[in-house]
Amino acid sequence: MSPIGALFVRELRLATRVGGGALMGALFFLIVVTVYPFGVGPDLNLLARIGPAILWIGALLATLLSLDRLFQADRDDGTLDLILMGEEPLELVVLVKCAAHWVATGLPLVLISPLLALFMNMEPIAIGSTMLTLAVGTPALTFIGAIGAGLTVTLRRGGLLLAILVLPLTVPILIFGVAAANAPVLQPAPFLTPFLLLSALTLFSAVIGPIAAAAALRFTSD
Amino acid sequence: MALIDYANPTRFLGLVEKLLPWLGALAALLIAVGLGLVFGIAPDDYQQGATVKIMFIHVPAAWLSMFGYSIMAASSLGTLIWRHPLADVSAKAAAPVGAAFTFVCLVTGSLWGKPMWGTWWEWDARLTSVLVLFIMYLGLIALWQTLEDPIKAGRAAAVLTLVGIVNIPIIKFSVDWWNTLHQPASVFRLGGPTIHPSMLWPLLVTALGFTVLFVTLHLMAMRNEILRRRIRTLRMLQASAVAG
Amino acid sequence: MTRKQRRLTMIGTAGAVLALAAGLIFWALSDSVAFFNSPSDVMAKRLPPEQRIRLGGLVKEGSVVRGEGTTVRFEITDKAVSIPVTYTGILPDLFREGQGVVAEGRMTGEGSFRADHVLAKHDENYMPKEVADSLKAQGHWQGDKGAGAPK
Repeated sequence: MSPIGALFVRELRLATRVGGGALMGALFFLIVVTVYPFGVGPDLNLLARIGPAILWIGALLATLLSLDRLFQADRDDGTLDLILMGEEPLELVVLVKCAAHWVATGLPLVLISPLLALFMNMEPIAIGSTMLTLAVGTPALTFIGAIGAGLTVTLRRGGLLLAILVLPLTVPILIFGVAAANAPVLQPAPFLTPFLLLSALTLFSAVIGPIAAAAALRFTSD
Repeated sequence: MALIDYANPTRFLGLVEKLLPWLGALAALLIAVGLGLVFGIAPDDYQQGATVKIMFIHVPAAWLSMFGYSIMAASSLGTLIWRHPLADVSAKAAAPVGAAFTFVCLVTGSLWGKPMWGTWWEWDARLTSVLVLFIMYLGLIALWQTLEDPIKAGRAAAVLTLVGIVNIPIIKFSVDWWNTLHQPASVFRLGGPTIHPSMLWPLLVTALGFTVLFVTLHLMAMRNEILRRRIRTLRMLQASAVAG
Repeated sequence: MTRKQRRLTMIGTAGAVLALAAGLIFWALSDSVAFFNSPSDVMAKRLPPEQRIRLGGLVKEGSVVRGEGTTVRFEITDKAVSIPVTYTGILPDLFREGQGVVAEGRMTGEGSFRADHVLAKHDENYMPKEVADSLKAQGHWQGDKGAGAPK
């Protein structure tokens, strides 16, 4: 197996074993979404209208909160130093780690979103569009979040700072993601335009995220 | 004199001490003349009436909020590529000043928006992107506050600053790319300004005054940061002397 | 693969991904993301009454009628279609005939619009009143025409 393939498998195994915390993100997502009806009241029409936005914000928070361990566990046990000194380009390693992280924590969010959408009383077409936009958009959140994870890797409790640094950068993703998810319900709004922009943002962040995160890891390492 | 000559902090501090009184006086003079022109000479707008006076504060503050971020981005390149020792001092010093001007821009815009548009705040592309800029300034300041080692903090902030630079063209062109509530550019646009000269000149004088004020504050903050780092080094030396 | 080849492959892939992203953006920009809908859009789409929208355009000349209290009726036009609007509340200073406005609210059944919020859109022109008057007198007046009109 190539080193990159081996790294991907290792990351997945680490994330899914006991103590890896892969499903914590999905659980957090479930809790956040469940809390909304208590806040806004059990108005099913209102929930159906703001449902896509709730799911998107829940996915955003769940992704960001799961990211602070992206490089920290490797730093704690010394793997990060090996990776930094290793043969493989650091950008590629970060990309693979992000991909594995998304499969372990982002994909479950996408998969349980239809179930949560039913709690929100959303229409079938809105459920479909929300799931599709989450599938396309959450990788961008992981890639951009990786920059924050790289910047805060040396901090003991970097989770909150990571969210503060990364949230402003995720605003466009949220805007276009929710716009596309809402489009089938709000008839005059076009679906394709925000969806294309969302896809473009994901591709951009797939390049910018690993490069910036690798730079952050290099510059802040001892 | 090349920029590299001022890599020596002592030489830089000497230059700053010489420049600061002049810059401060120039800023005060320009702003005084500018405000005099604004309230004495500049006429009321045909539609906005006297509310147009807010524009003379709002527009320079908006320019400088982006100018401040551009200084930080240029300094970040200096930190990461050329490793100029004063680059991260410059970036760190520009952040609070830039954040303050962004705050002034948001507040004055809000005060103008209530009577003119009929709302304090609207989530259109221009307003949202400037708010994002403000939050990014605060996030960068938080990053500097959290990382203890100034060298590491400077590099981390430089990476984040360069990623955040995408927001600057979005702010500038948001009014052209989207149907925003905010009006399009009046001064820096193809085909010349759409502000009558009787208002344009006071605006330019005020803007120049604010820019000099920005530079003055930036240099003062840089001086303070250099001194702060010296104190930190002295304390560490002292502590290690006691320990040893 | 040697180190150099691998680096070139990585740079090439990154460039291709960025180019693809740029392509998607240009494709998307052919359909503009609007802060508001123009009257023509609204009429063409035939919206359901419960749907909240923003209707943007110019206040039609001579259409403003003040009703009892603070109720105002006017028409929003984009020079092709105009839609009657009713609004109760305080209008912004810049609201006047020929000026660009954005109204938030819902369509009623009879093809009129009930606004619960009216925003005035300002244009990029700043000039003293005397200059505006003399421009109007000389027939060079071009203001107002673009303000708020959808591009």
